[in-house]
Amino acid sequence: MLRYNLSQSLLLKLMSEVQRRKYSQEEKNTIFDGEFMPHIDSMYNFAYRLTFDEDDAKDLVQDTYLKAYRFINSFEQGTNAKAWLFRILKNSFINEYRKKSKQPTKVDYQEVETYYNSDDVDYQSTTDLRAESVKDMLGDEISNALNSLAVDFRTVIILCDLEGFTYEEMAKILDIPIGTVRSRLHRARNLLKDKLRGYAQNMGYNTEGEEEEAEF
Amino acid sequence: MEMNTESAGERKLQCSDVTKCFELLESILDGDMIQGGKEIMNDKLAKCQPCFEHYHLEQAIREVLKTKCTKQPVPSELSDSIRQKIQDIL
Repeated sequence: MLRYNLSQSLLLKLMSEVQRRKYSQEEKNTIFDGEFMPHIDSMYNFAYRLTFDEDDAKDLVQDTYLKAYRFINSFEQGTNAKAWLFRILKNSFINEYRKKSKQPTKVDYQEVETYYNSDDVDYQSTTDLRAESVKDMLGDEISNALNSLAVDFRTVIILCDLEGFTYEEMAKILDIPIGTVRSRLHRARNLLKDKLRGYAQNMGYNTEGEEEEAEF
Repeated sequence: MEMNTESAGERKLQCSDVTKCFELLESILDGDMIQGGKEIMNDKLAKCQPCFEHYHLEQAIREVLKTKCTKQPVPSELSDSIRQKIQDIL
């Protein structure tokens, strides 16, 4: 009996908590317009860089906003709305888009992830790519290099460098520990450097590695 | 964050702990500061050539990613279509 009473009071407490957190229709609209919609530009660009297709990107963003509206009561006002939305978008991409995608599934990703799935990273000096050559590169070269990375590596670079999320925010968006964020980012940038080194050599930019590498 | 870019004359040419140094430099560039990190970093950049070069390369990569990546314009009808869909489910 005592047990029943306790659980009932707990239940009532939880229910009142949920009630309290429920937003009125007006509040929902205020949050949606004031905190969610301003991020549509970043959201669309993230979606486009994941899917490389305008229609798929539109669908993904639309689904994300509909989910955000449906689950708006689980959003805490005053917390980071952009990170919250990015997390929904990334989950939608993994759960829905990737499954029905017309594109062949990224076999390379699986290989890469199995091969690299550890937090231990080798840090090495890359003396053959110079900061000056990187700065001279064109936007298209940078974009192409980024787009050529496997989706998980691409994602951490987008979140960190293009969208300015912190390691902690990225860990929450991606559901991975901060140590993994750090090591994945490091590997992602190393892969990016390999691509950029290829462009630099191809374009005759100043690189210190003088060997003739024609495989690019 | 402008670094002291004096001549490399007095910097050592080998880094004794590349893993630890580069990890620290990359974390700082990503805004993930540890206590006293900036002082350690400035010291390394002044004294160690591999750290100095790595820092500037990593900084350049972050900068071009931030400033040069082409942006996709958001389709003009997207916002309206989202609002319409929400009206429909209400």
